[in-house]
Amino acid sequence: MFKKIFIVVVMVVIVLSLYVNFNHNYKGLSKQLKASFMLYNPDKELSYFSLVDHNNNKFDNKNFKDKWTLLSFIYTHCPDVCPTGLMDMSILKSILIKRGASIVPNIVTITFDPIRDTPEVLKTYVTYFDKSFLGVSGNQSQINQLVQDFGAYYERVVYAKNGKSTVFKNDKPLPEWALVAGYLINHTAWIYLVGPNGQIFAGFPLPHNPLEMADDIELLTENY
Amino acid sequence: MNKMISSLVLILLSLLVITQTGATNHDIDGITIHNPWVRLAPSNAPVLGVFMEIHNNSNHDIRLLSANASGYKRLELHKTEYKNGMMKMTKQGFMPILAHDKLILKPGSWHIMMISPESASNEGEFVMVELIFDNGSSKTLRVKVKKEI
Ligand SMILES: [Cu+2]
Repeated sequence: MFKKIFIVVVMVVIVLSLYVNFNHNYKGLSKQLKASFMLYNPDKELSYFSLVDHNNNKFDNKNFKDKWTLLSFIYTHCPDVCPTGLMDMSILKSILIKRGASIVPNIVTITFDPIRDTPEVLKTYVTYFDKSFLGVSGNQSQINQLVQDFGAYYERVVYAKNGKSTVFKNDKPLPEWALVAGYLINHTAWIYLVGPNGQIFAGFPLPHNPLEMADDIELLTENY
Repeated sequence: MNKMISSLVLILLSLLVITQTGATNHDIDGITIHNPWVRLAPSNAPVLGVFMEIHNNSNHDIRLLSANASGYKRLELHKTEYKNGMMKMTKQGFMPILAHDKLILKPGSWHIMMISPESASNEGEFVMVELIFDNGSSKTLRVKVKKEI
């Protein structure tokens, strides 16, 4: 009996010290970050999702497991912010490769706009920036869930003929006329680092400086 | 014969227009355009951004009212702003260029958006873009497609 209690106590102490140690290490780590914030929260797991990548393969939580991933959300009808973000990631990737970094994350981008950004569209678009980039499309509500989990946000803006604009929140379906008229998307533009446990690890807000991002990625992945 | 002369005149005139617009710096109406460029994009990009510096050397504020280019469904004047944590790209009725000032069109800020291209643009190609200002003047620019400035 006493032996059993003893074993339980020892195990609790080990787990606690591991936990404290872990927190302590990550706190020290986050102070050294230049371009990112630690977002890891063991109490908030990513929801189950199942999407489709640009080769029409299933893309779900398993695709984040046992590797590092840099994830962003885009839409291809964006001439400005999204191409800049993808360009920054291709620069970032080449910096990591040039430095001989031990870990070069997979680069994945999920569309906010699966109605227009089908897997076929994404394939041509995303691989233009780097052959290895993977575009992901799929069910709008699954994407919305993921957007929410990552703390991202978007809304669609439709302009009527008279120039008046209407905003549709991301959970609101678009009316038929809006699909015909076309729409813009206001969106957050963070880049996220997903850990090998399949959970959100860190996030890079704007502006994206590829050199500083590379420093942070090396620091984060080496101290994982 | 008359027909030939008139067509010759037309050709000469159009040559004149092209050579004039080929230069980035001309100052008949107080407006000069510097470093215009179209951002190279994936072959299936549904929209393309046009960027430049518009200088107003006159004593009056000038507005850019619209832009046109053949081979696109339409061109819109846009401004991207960072608001409430979001990048918002909003359609603008005009672009203001204040007297003795300039407006810089660049990624993440003011830009002209060319919507639904008929065909893909390749690096080094030129797009003819017409700008229409509220002082009655208009300019046609030969804008090069390139990766970045
Ligand atoms: Cu735009």
